[in-house]
Parts: sequence; C-alpha cells; structure tokens
Amino acid sequence: MPFDQAFALSSVFLAATAFTGLVLAQSVPLWLALPTAIILTISLLHAGGIHFVRQAMARVTVSPTLWNVLLIGALAILLIDLTVVSRDLLPAGIHFLVMLLAIKLLTLQQRRDYRHLYGISLMAILASAALTTDAWYVPIFLLYMLAAVWTLLLYHLTQETGETPAAVTPASTAAGQPTFPSRITHHFFWLTNGIAVLTVALTLAIFFLIPRIGAGMLQKTSGEALRTTGFSDRVDLGTIGSVKQDPQIVMRVELPDQPAIEKDRLYLRGLAYDQYNGRSWSHSGTRRRSLSLVADGTFLARPAGSRPLGSRSGTIRQDILLETLDTAVLFAVPFAELVSGEFLTVQADAMGGLHLPFPPSSRIRYSVTSQVPQLVENERTASVLAYPDSIRSHYLQVPLESQHVAELAHRVIQQATTPFGQTLAIQQHLLDNYRYSLEGDTATLSHPLEEFLFTRKTGYCEHYATAMVVMLRTVGIPARLVTGFLATEWNEYGGYFTVRQRDAHAWVEVYFPQSGWVTMDPTPSVSAAVTTSRWESLSRLGESVRLQWDRLFVRYSAKDQLAVVHGVREGSDALRERVRRWVSSLSAPISQVFSRLTHVARTFQPGMLELVTGVIVVGLALFLLMLRDRIGLWATTHLPTAHPELAIVQLYTRMLRTVERHGVSKPPAATASEFARLVEQEWKAAGPMVADVTALYHQGRFGRNPLTPGELSRAAEQVGRLQSLPHAAR
Amino acid sequence: MKHPPLNLRVSRTFSFVQGMSRRRSIRLTTEGTRFLLFTFGIGLAAINTGNNLFYLLLAMMLSLIVISGLLSEYCLRRLEFHRHVPDLIMANEPTTLTLSVTNRNRHLSSFSLRLLDVVEGQDVDRGLSIHLLPPQSSVLLSYPLLATKRGWIRFQGIRAYTLFPFGLFLKKGLYSTEAHLLVSPPIRPLTLRFVDELVSEGQGQSLPQRGHGTQLYNLRLYQPGDDSRAIHWMTTARTSQLIVRETEAEDQRRITVVLSIVAPEECAPLFERSVTFVASLLWQLTERAYPVRLIIGTEDSGLGSGSAHLLAMLRLLALCERQPPETNGVGHHGAHPPLTHEAERGYTVAVVPWSDQAAPTNMEQADRVLHATQLEELTHAF
Repeated sequence: MPFDQAFALSSVFLAATAFTGLVLAQSVPLWLALPTAIILTISLLHAGGIHFVRQAMARVTVSPTLWNVLLIGALAILLIDLTVVSRDLLPAGIHFLVMLLAIKLLTLQQRRDYRHLYGISLMAILASAALTTDAWYVPIFLLYMLAAVWTLLLYHLTQETGETPAAVTPASTAAGQPTFPSRITHHFFWLTNGIAVLTVALTLAIFFLIPRIGAGMLQKTSGEALRTTGFSDRVDLGTIGSVKQDPQIVMRVELPDQPAIEKDRLYLRGLAYDQYNGRSWSHSGTRRRSLSLVADGTFLARPAGSRPLGSRSGTIRQDILLETLDTAVLFAVPFAELVSGEFLTVQADAMGGLHLPFPPSSRIRYSVTSQVPQLVENERTASVLAYPDSIRSHYLQVPLESQHVAELAHRVIQQATTPFGQTLAIQQHLLDNYRYSLEGDTATLSHPLEEFLFTRKTGYCEHYATAMVVMLRTVGIPARLVTGFLATEWNEYGGYFTVRQRDAHAWVEVYFPQSGWVTMDPTPSVSAAVTTSRWESLSRLGESVRLQWDRLFVRYSAKDQLAVVHGVREGSDALRERVRRWVSSLSAPISQVFSRLTHVARTFQPGMLELVTGVIVVGLALFLLMLRDRIGLWATTHLPTAHPELAIVQLYTRMLRTVERHGVSKPPAATASEFARLVEQEWKAAGPMVADVTALYHQGRFGRNPLTPGELSRAAEQVGRLQSLPHAAR
Repeated sequence: MKHPPLNLRVSRTFSFVQGMSRRRSIRLTTEGTRFLLFTFGIGLAAINTGNNLFYLLLAMMLSLIVISGLLSEYCLRRLEFHRHVPDLIMANEPTTLTLSVTNRNRHLSSFSLRLLDVVEGQDVDRGLSIHLLPPQSSVLLSYPLLATKRGWIRFQGIRAYTLFPFGLFLKKGLYSTEAHLLVSPPIRPLTLRFVDELVSEGQGQSLPQRGHGTQLYNLRLYQPGDDSRAIHWMTTARTSQLIVRETEAEDQRRITVVLSIVAPEECAPLFERSVTFVASLLWQLTERAYPVRLIIGTEDSGLGSGSAHLLAMLRLLALCERQPPETNGVGHHGAHPPLTHEAERGYTVAVVPWSDQAAPTNMEQADRVLHATQLEELTHAF
C-alpha cells in the first residue's frame, strides 16, 4: 500500500475509533450517529482505494461556501442543543464535536485538515473517557493508540518525502544508498507495530507511576444506581420474584483466604426481618448503632464487649466490589466481625444488618471478616432449649390467621423429638413437597403463605423461607427471615463470585441459645443455574477482564501506588533475605572445608597454607589460559565494538593462530585462498572450516556489504570447531 | 591561583554538560508545541477530575513524547561521518565534495536525517538528507561547493538532525569531522595582447633546460620508464651501462612575477583583483609552458613549470594577506622582496597594487612594473 493511502486510511481509522468510543458511551443520538457512521464508512472506503467510491467522490464537487454554511449550521445546532434540547454542556459539546468530525471527514484535503481531524479525534476519545468506566474502553483505547502511532509516523514521513526536492537527493551512492520505501513494506509494518507495542508498555508504566494528586472533585459517578428489591424496611411477599430473571451484576466477591473447594455457594446476608403480618415482612426495631472504629478504615461489627464466636465457627474474609445500588445495605457472609473500606461511618441494626448512612453514588470496595456460626453438638440432641425472653418476644410472632399453618407444622414435626430435629423436619418437608417456580404472582394475594402451602405448592425462596419461619415459630422455635444474595457463579479466571440480581435470595436464621443464629435454607437448589458451555466460560473470562480493568485502571489510586511501593519493598527485603540465606547455606560448607584444610595445612607445615593458595591461583590461571580461546571467541562476537567490520579480521587471525599451533603456518607470500588450499592438503579435517572462515573473511574484508551477525556467528562457530579438533585428527 | 578540588570538579562537570549540550540539542516543532499543549490540558483535566481514564490518556501522550525522544536519539546515535575534500579548489568554481555516512547501530536503522555543514561555526544547509540508513551500512553523499573567496575554509563538523518518528521534536547532533580546504584565487581570462607582449619582452632571457628539442642537454643513466629510443648506444657500449640522452628544451623563457602585498584598507578590492590577476597570469604562462617563479613578500615559489608548480604558486596566492602600510616605513622590506639581478630570475614582472610615492621600493628595479592604474585597467572586468 502506498504511503499516502496508508496515511489517509490511518487518519480516518483514528477518527473512526474515537467516534466508536463516543457511540459506545451512548452519548451520540441515533440521528447523529447514523449519518456520521455513513460518512466514516465512505471515507474509509475512499481512503482504502475502493475504485467506485473514489470515482463517485471525484464527481462530487462542493464549494467552500457550503462547508462554511455547514459549520455555521453545526454551531446553530450547538446553541439550540445547549439551550433547549440537552441543556447541558457535555452532551451538547459532544454532539457538536461529532458534527465537526463529519464535516472534517468530508473536506479532508490539505494537511491542515488532517491536523484538525486529529484534534477532534483526541477531544472525542477524551470525552468518551469522561463518560464511561466500562471495560469496552480498553480495546477502543488500544486501537486508538495503534492508529495514533501509525498516523503520527505516516504524517511525518509523508511530509518528509513530500518536502525533499529531487535536487538534494544524494548525487552518488558508493554503497548503494537504500531509498526510503514509498509503500508499506513488511519491515515498516512491523517497525510501526513494534513502536506501538513499546508505546503501550510505556503508557502502562507511566500510568501506574504517575502520582495521583487529583482531588477527584469532579469525578463522574458510574451511572444510574441499580434498583434492588428486598432490602427496604418492609418487604412484601413475592417481590423478589420480579428480579429473579435479571442478569445484571450486583457485586463481585473474592475470598482471598479460602481454598477453591469451598467455593460452591456463598450466602451474602443483607437484612433480617422479624415481623410478619401475613403479607409482608418488617423490622420491629429501627434503631441503628454506629460501629466503632478499630483501625484506619476498619470497623468492629460485633457489639463492643461481646465475645467472638471463637472456635465454634470458621472465619471467612471477603473482598467485595459492590456496584452502585439504590440501597445503603452492605452485604457480607453472616456474621460480619470486621468491616473495612473507605467509609466515614458504618451502622448496624439490631439484627446484624450493616448499613451506610446513604446509598453510595459509585462502586465501592470493602472487605469483611465474618465468623460463620456452627451448631454446637449438645444443641443438636437437646430435647428442650431455654430461649431468652428477648428472643422469645421478638422471634416467635406469627400472624393471627396461621392456624392451618400451625396444624401443618405440628403434623410435620410429629416424629421429631428435639428442636433441631423439628427444624430439620420442617426444612425437609418444604424441600420434598414443594416445587420451585417463579411463575405466579403472589404479591396481590391476601394470604400468600397459605396459598403457597396448601393450594399452589409452588413458589420461590421468599415463600419457602416465610413458610419455614412461620412453621418454626408456631412450634416455639425462634426464627427470622433474611434477605440477601446466594452466590453460586464462581469465576475461575478472576477467582471470585459474580453476584447478579437474579441471585437475590431469602433464607432462614434459626436461633439456638448456645450457637446463636444458624443459617438454614429450605429452598431447593435450581439445577439449571450451573452452565458450563464454552460461551458461559468466555463470558466469565470477559467478566474477569472487566473486574481487573475496574480494579487496576478505573479505581487505581494513590493508596494503590503506596501499596505497590510497600509490596516492592517487602518483596525486595524478602528476596534479599532469601539470597543471604542461600549464600550463607552455600558458603558454610565451603568455609568449613576451607578452615579444615587450613588447619590441616598448618598442622603439617607452617608454609603449607601459602603453598595451597599458590597452587589454587596457578590452577585458576592455567584454567583461564586453557579457556582463553573460547573467551576470546565469545568476546569477538558478543562484546560491542566501535569497528564491527574488524570482527571477521580478528576471527581470521584467531584461526591462523589455531592452525599454527597445529603446525601449519601461513607463509608470508601466500594469499588467504592459497593458505586455505594449503591447510586442505596438510590437515584435511580442518580444511572445510578454514575454507569457510576464509570465504567469510574475503566477504567481510573486501566485499561491499558488512557481514551479518549470523555470518559472524557462523565464522565464530567454525573457529570454535577448529579449536576443538584434536591433534590426532591431523 | 589554585582552585579548590570542589570547584574544579564543578567546573569539569559544567564543561562536560556544556559539551554534551553542544553535541545534542532538542527543539520543539510547531506540531510538538500543539501536542504538548494538548498533553498539558489533559493533565490538568486528570488532576481536576481524578478520572483515571484521563490519566491513561495523559500517560499515552507522555509515552509518545518519551518514545519520540528515544527513537530520535537512536537515529542519531553511532553515526559516523567522513569527509573527502580536495587539496585545493578555485574560488567561484563549483567543486564536488563527498561525505560518507555510516550507521554503526547493530540493529536499528536511522530515519529522516538532514545534514548541515558546520563551517566556521555556522550551520550551512547543503540540502543533504538521508531517508533511511539501515544498520551497519554506509552511504556516500556528494554536494556542490562554491567558494567565493580565497583562503582556508575550515569545516568543523556535521550537524545531523531528525524529526523521526512523529515530527514533534527536532533533535540535533554535532559530529566532529575537522577538515581544511584551501581556496585559490579564481582564474580570469586575460587579454592575449598583454600576455603576448609580456612574453615577447622576455625573449632572450632563457636558460638551458631539459625538454623537447634536438640539442644535447645531458647524458645520464637509464631509469625504468625512460623511452628506449633515447638510449645513447655509443656511450652505452663504451661504459657498459645503459645511458640515455636528454635534449635541451627549445624556446624556454624564465619569468618571475612579484606581488607587492602592501596596500591600505581602501585598496583592498584592488589588491584582491591583483591577486586574481597574478593567478590568471601564472596560469596563462604555465599553459604556454614557461618556467615561472612567484615571489610574494618573503615567500618564493622557486622557478618551475607544469601543473604541480602552478598549484604550489596558487597555494601561495591563496594564503597571501594584504599588509597595511606603516607610517614610518618600517616593515616594508618584508612585504617587498629584494629584487637582485640573479641569473635565475629572468624577466621580472612586478605587480604593485599600491605604492608609496614618498618611500620608493625596490620594485622599480623590475623589468615591468604594473601599478595601480594599469591594474585597474587590466582587472576592471574581473
């Protein structure tokens, strides 16, 4: 492809990339995006040298006045957009930018027009950076950078070749001056792409190193908050069903300390409810306490003074990246002990729900350390449990019209003799006799629970959980309903759970006096949730990339820079320590042997030590002397020299010395070729090597072109072979 | 005065930095200035918003600047220049000079090189450019040079600059290729009448000299390269050694040209024209195969003929300098050579662009004296 054509193509491609960025940021309306896309396509085809497009464009001649009118029109549209339509500078400015881009694409003639196009493209890619934090920006940015490198390089080179008059072209060329290619050659293609790769690498390095001194006052929020259900003060039975088909991502949860085997499902607790009126759940207490700060950004979620669950439970640490939601609830594996993040304050309600003062305006990242309660053994077998009054008063409430439910509960637990057995019996009854289904809206029914238990016998998590809580309460076991998310989608590429809206879940917490609240789930698992198709796998890979993008680029901060510095320092300390240990472990036996030898030498004779040292030094010197040929050969071909053309001469001289050591000397009158023939006669085994080195010597010393590194290596290899030939071979 | 060691170290460092800055310099182009302004703007936006994607764009712009600097440095690094200049050229005569450029880089080519000649501290654009110089390869460039005045031209080096890769920066590097070129005065056509007249005046003052002719000049031993027809067989037979016979050149007249270098400032143009006149006269006489001698001040070329002798005389003329007259007359002796009546001198022509009426010099003893008025007349067309 000719340079001029490549230049035009890369310029339009640069503009197309920037425009695609704006379109993906959803900032260009269809009425503007469509004509601009058409103009871009025509420009690309024109620059690509498509014949009929070029012919058609050549026929169209438009006066400069029309372009001026178009510009004035664009300005007028900007004013209208600014005052009437968008009423915001950013969208109106972007629309104006796209119009300018389209007009400039139609008038690309002079180099000045190209410069304007680059300016507009840069503004466009800047605007798309302001409008998004999504991972699609990665390929757009990389393409833009690639196009920018090509365009800048070609802009400069086409200017150079255009400026150079024929008269100043060198008049004569002794070594055959290579002329600059007027077409994109294979070498130029890879050179430019190499520069682009180098630029990307350097960009990343600078990006991570550049100090973050921004206040972030004008930082854009990550978009509209996701609407969630089930996390308000009052939850109607059946409301969760509306989001059970929604695949939008709510959060990502990493378990840095957990082995992979335990990552099949994870309950992320949101809120708990204790009051059920037959149609909806609510809290009895609305008081919240502020969590105490125990370290920088770390809050103690357990009430101050209470003792931790200790050995009865396991610890799970979670790093959670929560999307922008319309709720201020913080989710965590039950039960949270420590919460850390960039929060000013965190609150907790009476039932262990964590809250921020207000819903966050952008994605937040926080870590939680939770203690998972486990049922103590004697409570499994105890026939009677003594519940405190505070528990009894709050968690045994049932609606008045639950008579049928109570009868059912008593019938189910007939065989069970312990509270724990009764709990399991109710759970098993629900698991065995009811079918999971999202069909049927129960939110409008007057008795949704009875409808689920006795009529439809189908429902989803809320119905199962409500049924279990009410049935447990009717038989005197304290229980409450919990809403949150059940994470089952493990991303093996990123090493985290992806939690979506459809993972919203309700389950049950049952109270045991010694064990505390124990999580139980009567909802049957849905087998269709696990998919292992290649597409799903790819989707998880993309999802992982998005998370990394968010973590490494979008949310990269001065704190991360400090963490990297600390990490590097700790890493270097660890490395230094390891090296020190390795050296000491290596040197200890040597020094022991040496000291033993010294001792032995001193015992035998006072001057023995000096003698041994002398022998070692002489031995080393002899060893180096034996290797001098190899070292010299290596140095000739590997060490940088100011006169690389002398390398072959040095190799040839080395070859002469080697052959001479074997008794074949070069007569002063003999030419190099004559000597090669002489060696062929005198020492047959060395003949081919000497002939090859001689040929290369001729080429390098007297030829027009210097030897390539490959040819030099070949010569060195031949001399090496010659040196390794035994004397007997002669 | 002894400098304290610290000062010495500082001054050495300073001179090193100064030397480096002389060898390498970088300048922003118009496009580079715009690019930097954009970068600055994006940097401000990044700081104001704290948006990491702005930081990413800023990093891209900065990396393009760094890559630009690195690649332009690689383009100029390990370049070698060798200049080939002739011994002597004539003023106002175009001459071709050659410059050999070698890229000693092992792997990287040099792109878009423009070369400037550094002459007497000034950068002179000869329109030399190299678009591509692959690694380990050389190129021979030639360019015309038109020297306008006689004397030495001192080529200090070559300044190479490149805009590669993006045209944002102009990076220059200075390479020392010291060379000196001597420029002789130009040769102008003289009126044939004047030269003929001069030659006829000098008839009779000839000196036997080897050359083409019929009379015996000398017998000498045969040397390789001698014409075998010139062997004098009788003497060869008698002496048992190959002896050749040399003939005496016919019509050999000796002419000495003396140039007075004393002239005041206002006579400088006439002095220069006189130098040109002498050069042209010597050229004419050499063309006619006369043995010629040139005396300028204390410099004496000796008697000789042929092109090699002409070049030696032109070198003297190229380097001669005008001396202002001294009020007390002291020093004129050095400027005006003594004109003795030695036999070798032959016919003497004195060129005197300026003469002091109050203090006559020995120039008047010459066979023919060309004074300012005659010189004006002879050189008015120069």
